[in-house]
Amino acid sequence: MSTPSALRRTAIAAIAAAALLVPALPALADATPSAGASGGAAGRSKTSFVIGMKNEPDSLNPYVGVEAISYDLYQLMYDYLTEPSATDMSPAPALAERWETSADGKTWTYHLRHGVKWSDGQDLDADDVVYSFQRSKDGETENGQYGSYVDPIEKITKVDQYTVTMTTTEPSPSMLHLAVPIVPEHVWKNVTAAQVGTFANDSSVVGSGPFQLAEVKKGQYYRFTANKQYWNGAPKIDELVYQLFKDDDTMVQALKKGDIDFAEDLTAAQYNALKGDANITLHSAPSTFVYELAFNLGAATTENKPIGDGNAVLKDLNVRKAIDHAIDKKVLVDKVLQGHGSVATGEIPPLYPKLHWDPTDADARQFDPAKANQILDQAGYAKGADGIRVDKSGKKISLRLFGREDSEDSKSSVQYIRDWLKDIGIEVKTQIMSTEQLTDVIGKGEYDMFHWDWGVEPDPDFQLSVFTCDQRSTEEDGAISAGWSDSFLCDPAYEALYKKQKTIIDLDQRAAAVKEAQKWLYDNVVYSTLWNGHVMEAYRNDRFTGFVEQPSTGGSLAVQFGTYSYRAIQPYVAPAAAAKESKTGLMLGIAGGVVVLLIAVGAVVMVRRRGTADERE
Amino acid sequence: MSETTGGGAARRRPRATGLGYVLRKVLGSVLTLLFVAVFNFFLFQILPGDPAKAFAPKGRNSDPEALAALRRQYGSGLSLWEKFTRYVDRMVHLDFGVSYTQHAEVTKVIGERLWPTVLLSGTALLLAAGIGVWIGARSGWRHGSRFDRSSSSIAVTAYSMPEWWLGLILIFAFASPGGLDIFPLTGMRDSRSTLPEWLDVAWHMVLPVASLAVVYIAEYSLIMRSSILDERYSEYLTVARAKGLRDDVVLRRHALPNALLPSVTLFLMSVGFIVSGAITVETIFSWPGLGLLTSEALRGPDVPLLQGVFIVFSAGVILMNLVADLVYPLLDPRVRRS
Amino acid sequence: MTTVAWTRRRFAVSAFWRSFRADREGLIGLISLLVIAVIALAAPLLASATELSPTKATGPVLAAPSLEYPFGTDDSGRSVLLLVIWGSRVSLLVGLAATLISMVIGTVVGVAAGHFGGAGGFLTRFAGGTLNRLTEWFLVIPYLPLAIALMVVAIRYNLPLVLAVIIVIGITSWPSTARLVRAQTLAIEGRPYIERAKVLGAGHWHQMTRHVLPNVMPLVLANTTLTVSIAILAETTLSFLGLGSGDSISWGTIISSARNHVAMSNGQWWWFLFPGIAVVVVVRAFNMCGRALERILDPRLKERS
Repeated sequence: MSTPSALRRTAIAAIAAAALLVPALPALADATPSAGASGGAAGRSKTSFVIGMKNEPDSLNPYVGVEAISYDLYQLMYDYLTEPSATDMSPAPALAERWETSADGKTWTYHLRHGVKWSDGQDLDADDVVYSFQRSKDGETENGQYGSYVDPIEKITKVDQYTVTMTTTEPSPSMLHLAVPIVPEHVWKNVTAAQVGTFANDSSVVGSGPFQLAEVKKGQYYRFTANKQYWNGAPKIDELVYQLFKDDDTMVQALKKGDIDFAEDLTAAQYNALKGDANITLHSAPSTFVYELAFNLGAATTENKPIGDGNAVLKDLNVRKAIDHAIDKKVLVDKVLQGHGSVATGEIPPLYPKLHWDPTDADARQFDPAKANQILDQAGYAKGADGIRVDKSGKKISLRLFGREDSEDSKSSVQYIRDWLKDIGIEVKTQIMSTEQLTDVIGKGEYDMFHWDWGVEPDPDFQLSVFTCDQRSTEEDGAISAGWSDSFLCDPAYEALYKKQKTIIDLDQRAAAVKEAQKWLYDNVVYSTLWNGHVMEAYRNDRFTGFVEQPSTGGSLAVQFGTYSYRAIQPYVAPAAAAKESKTGLMLGIAGGVVVLLIAVGAVVMVRRRGTADERE
Repeated sequence: MSETTGGGAARRRPRATGLGYVLRKVLGSVLTLLFVAVFNFFLFQILPGDPAKAFAPKGRNSDPEALAALRRQYGSGLSLWEKFTRYVDRMVHLDFGVSYTQHAEVTKVIGERLWPTVLLSGTALLLAAGIGVWIGARSGWRHGSRFDRSSSSIAVTAYSMPEWWLGLILIFAFASPGGLDIFPLTGMRDSRSTLPEWLDVAWHMVLPVASLAVVYIAEYSLIMRSSILDERYSEYLTVARAKGLRDDVVLRRHALPNALLPSVTLFLMSVGFIVSGAITVETIFSWPGLGLLTSEALRGPDVPLLQGVFIVFSAGVILMNLVADLVYPLLDPRVRRS
Repeated sequence: MTTVAWTRRRFAVSAFWRSFRADREGLIGLISLLVIAVIALAAPLLASATELSPTKATGPVLAAPSLEYPFGTDDSGRSVLLLVIWGSRVSLLVGLAATLISMVIGTVVGVAAGHFGGAGGFLTRFAGGTLNRLTEWFLVIPYLPLAIALMVVAIRYNLPLVLAVIIVIGITSWPSTARLVRAQTLAIEGRPYIERAKVLGAGHWHQMTRHVLPNVMPLVLANTTLTVSIAILAETTLSFLGLGSGDSISWGTIISSARNHVAMSNGQWWWFLFPGIAVVVVVRAFNMCGRALERILDPRLKERS
């Protein structure tokens, strides 16, 4: 029984609601996040470059934080004697303008740049350099970080205000790749040895680098302001913000919506989700990361005391060879990485062409499950009734394989590896854990296999050092401290090869020695190297331009050995770019209007029914 | 509340009113909280977690002496009893220690994240209570009608859904380019938004609140419906109708208040389930509250943080139960008179 | 006496069955459950282990639903339909096993609390009161944080995860059953024939098992179906948070995988929609049966259907 008056009331209500919203539309349209970096954005007088990332730095203290992103942040705040060049990562002058080496390669003289100032106005001179290196030598925590660089150095002397000489016990090629940050003596002398481990360095940071720490909101973002007095030229942006994201979808959407300008370290899935947007440039290039399946070769401390509970079968080279043959690395690259990577063999990635090593066809191990089965059969590991092999003591071979919780690739890979190893009769139990827990477990030797990666530096010494006897865990007062070794290899043959490359100054000769070492590692299946990853990045090309790749043959744009991109990028000046925003505003308006309309109609209906309720009863 | 007695033993029913009642209930709650605190201690004793990690650098860089000193400070070498007394002592001072992952005091971390959770869950609860009561009442009152049958059916379906999955669907439908890209995908605020703060937060709240509210509405409407059904055929209502009162007046003034009582209690008691909803929905939407904090604390695991969050959630539930116990007698005169 | 009791029981059961059959919601629920059970049991025939292995999957990667792959494929090329079918096994196993544990503990504690708490000497009342207190206390602890904490422990100490999930869910859900059973026990104990049994010299055990338990069981049964639905939801949630069955495929792990692979932004809706629908269908079926049972067993409700 509808009455004209009721219908009219509804119509009036609806029109009124719509009328209320119309003036609100333009306001809402303006209110949505607009292209902030281009000139003329409301209320934005400085240029802010926002990078989205998923991993949080573990510490801003250069002697403490070990996450890759932490090292990136040290580079913003501090300078180094030399830096890897943007073209090919060879040593380029930084704080050291020029240098000389003695004929025997044991004395190095660095001539420091004049006029570099700390952010508090004081001069940066030889005292700071000597202090930084000496501290890395003497302090336990500090040495844990930079030991591989400073241990070969015997003496550090200040010659004059801008000259430093260092003498080494052996000729050391790493002296041009000393990635030891130069910190201000006048600040750090007040941080005692007892305090350094817990010193956060997250406020009032004094540094000489291109950016200075402005604000830290743990779990959210890290804000840096540009150092306009930087000796290598002022950055063209005013502010650099690292924004943390908890999950992948969020970061993808944030880049699309313009909340961030750059997304780094993307997964293949995120990369795919960003395709097809004209404002977003995608970049996939070889990275410094090599991914491996690591084995427990017999965990023991530096005093050769066995620790942990690794399965002894992994000490058998045949077993490791068979495992390596059973893994189809090409499938991993195709399916897990969706093509963003290449199969790996040597420990140094192809990004370093002079040092990269590939086995000859004769030495290379292909994906060959039949051969793997053959090797295991011949080595005496017979298959049981359930298809799983037994070891020499008659026990079923069951290995633990750990993957990392923060990496989808890791989680997927361990499943593939588990199934491949089952085909050759090895039972694998996978477990996903956090990187903290995994580090802990490795240090204690309580593992069989795990999946992880290394970011290889321009100087190969550190990477090769992790396989040495000295880098195994140490024990003190019953507590075990991990070193850098995650294989617990301790072999005199390798020790010799490592020491050899460590003392050759000539680049080509050293390259040969480095390749020898890689060959040894490959032949002895210390790792089952899986793939060389790509670094996948994306940025808003309508906001910023001028990114610098490192190396120039193809490499990363953001997280580099150096701050090239951060210093070179500038806002992209575009023609009118406001076309997109009003859509969101419009939708806001429409949504709001619909809601109000529904409420209005609902209210009218209820009132009407109330009125007729009497009659209905 | 009052207990029924078994076969014959004469027992006085405790009176559900007066100071004695209040005190008894409060005391009971405190005891429960103590139990939870003790339980918390033992539970997290078996959880792995190296206190030294709160400060010391990652395993590879740790100075063994510094680590040992930190461990001593956190009481690794103490006996269980000594650890327990330290725990109680700290608890009294509201000191939950330092979070491993956040590198800040647990109380501070929890304090920062409390409001977003209260805002989200509270809004969802109130919304759900209001709408759920209305739907349930109408559906129960018109038992067997089309409204009743369809709303009950929808409610059971909604009730069978994981609320976080509903959240995923809503995100896909309304906040992703695959569907209508209207709402923000995640978080509480857009760092670059120029909207007034309350509006920005409200806009971000729409989808998470919807995810939680739908499931709660379903639950409350079913509870309310069965309460109304209980009341519907009572004598006093027949009298009211015989007096000629309109149907919905009978509902509103007589049946509803009585039917609301058990609903109120159940409503307050269901706060426990709100907690699990908060954890999952906040995780999906990256809503910076206690729920998301719990998910993050799983990495590590961050034992002090988990411990703190655990106590806070339990305390919340205990508080709501206490409120329910104290409010119910005020609402239901029958219980008061015992 | 026993033959009479048995005949009475048989009569009661067939009457019960007739009521249940007449209840449309319950019937639909039951039939759904039977179909699901058949699918879950037949899963090994429908989905061979090789098709579930990421290394052996031959399908196109991340393909939208088509005739060949009705639910689409995942990032390894596996058919999501097969994954959902296979996942039903873990979800149902955990749901049912956890419920069994929860029911057993809950019923035992509930009956004991109700029986001993009601009457008798001081000690028995104290015992009953303590059990009741314990139940109330455990009720207060929110289930998800507790489940999370326990699963973290299980993972850290390398316990078999599916078993751990079952135990954890069982442990976190017994209190609500116990409370319900206790209330029912108290109500039953008030009935005259119990008094008669006591006067005739029936001991505690006899009273509890012969009189209380059979009368409590129907309610427990109704509560069981509802507990199963909660258990299945709990397992899915824990798996989604990454704490669940680890290696095994369950509905929660499929959805978790989808989310981690940015399925949302990539528009791969089939990956997380279908496993979720499976959860809703199964849980709803259990809920429908539970509601039907409640309707049949609650005398007040019977009057007004």
